[in-house]
Amino acid sequence: MLLDEIKSVLSFAAFKADPDDSAVPWNRRFEGRKSLLINVSRGGVSWRSISKRGRFEDGGTQEGEFADSVPQRAEEWRSMAEGGWCSVSINHRFIISLENNLMRGDNCVSLLRTNPRAILGPKYDRGKRYAICHHPETTASLLLAVEESMVKVTEDTLKTASLKPGRVCCGLFAMLEHAILSIFRASDGGTPADFVLIAACEGSLAVLVQQEGQWRDIRCRSGLGPEGVETALQIISPLLAKVPQSSPVYFVGDGHDNKFRTELMLHLEKVGATDLTQDDLLWKVIGES
Amino acid sequence: MNEYLCHDFKTPRVDTSRRLPSSFRAIPVIFYVALIGSAYVMTMDYFGYKHALKQKTDAEERTKLSEAQRDAFKAEKSELEAEAVKAEKVAQWMEGARNIQPIAVRIARAVQTETRITQVAIERSEQVPSNLALTIHLNGSKVTSELAAIESALGQLYYRSYSPQQTKNGDVVEYHSTLVRQAE
Repeated sequence: MLLDEIKSVLSFAAFKADPDDSAVPWNRRFEGRKSLLINVSRGGVSWRSISKRGRFEDGGTQEGEFADSVPQRAEEWRSMAEGGWCSVSINHRFIISLENNLMRGDNCVSLLRTNPRAILGPKYDRGKRYAICHHPETTASLLLAVEESMVKVTEDTLKTASLKPGRVCCGLFAMLEHAILSIFRASDGGTPADFVLIAACEGSLAVLVQQEGQWRDIRCRSGLGPEGVETALQIISPLLAKVPQSSPVYFVGDGHDNKFRTELMLHLEKVGATDLTQDDLLWKVIGES
Repeated sequence: MNEYLCHDFKTPRVDTSRRLPSSFRAIPVIFYVALIGSAYVMTMDYFGYKHALKQKTDAEERTKLSEAQRDAFKAEKSELEAEAVKAEKVAQWMEGARNIQPIAVRIARAVQTETRITQVAIERSEQVPSNLALTIHLNGSKVTSELAAIESALGQLYYRSYSPQQTKNGDVVEYHSTLVRQAE
């Protein structure tokens, strides 16, 4: 053991980020190593591998429960990931809510993992795992709450297949965070006071409304199938009515099935929506940052 | 995109130690620098050792050469000293024989070229140091006249032959005489 530690120091391995170090971006944790990205939705699972050079390579989808898919795909997935490390996106069994005046600080992210009660106070629920996205200019925050049992079951299922989850996140929430950051960066200080941001990821949908520079409303829904466009429009329409007509509408979406995204965008184009979607956005968000 | 860090709510591991701080990278760096430095010093020491061995061999060869030269010089010096001793003796003899040198010169000049003097001996008498015992071995056809010429020449030096004797031994005539110094 001591010899291994000495070897790791002399080979500089001891100074590299651990594969499950949440404070380090995924691509830096796996420089020169293959890794696997998995997205778990209500009705299926999709995956993509990252090569040693950091390029997205083979991928696939499978319908059905995650627990059923893992034993079938375990060998394939293990061959795609060095040491079995993977980044997992859980895209259902979550709630996104708007909160105000939550604690902010450099250590809040780690504190939310280790002692969420210190951040959330009485809003903390023992059976949930949390993530936060703060408004860059106001005291509002988006709070993601995922069922802890879902996280643990997912982790245990992967462990039975000799796969190690280096990150467990929510792909939809990650895309929402990324889109918010992109909008505020692109606005160059002149942030639109009113806008609607719609994020869709593998059958999950989130709609965020900002009015007069404040986040006013957030709605989310998971488990929408390719035919769930009507349901999505029923969620989006009342929120679009809340903002003035000329307010910008942003859309960001990713998923293996383009039908849902295309049809939804057709409707959103009528209100002048801007599509912020990039190729492989989900994989980029959970596999590069 | 680079500044965005994706959230993570996985179950945290409890068996992990904290990552070593970046400043600790100096430890393996120093280790490798020390390793390279040691290898460099050892290599240089090895070449230095080899060079010193070669220098030692060269020095030993130079010592042997110098000792041989020294011995040669000593031998030469001994020879020169021996020669000097001999020369000193000759010089002493020359100094001691100064008063009889004119006698030898007169004898040599008195003899003609066709007559050969094979031996000349002039010995001072221990009992009467003023008298000299002269022995001359001559080889030639006119020995008698030559001996007369020698006696005449010695007479010019105020020496008179006393009881001269001639003995013929083959072609050689042996002449013995005692030279007595006369007053001028």
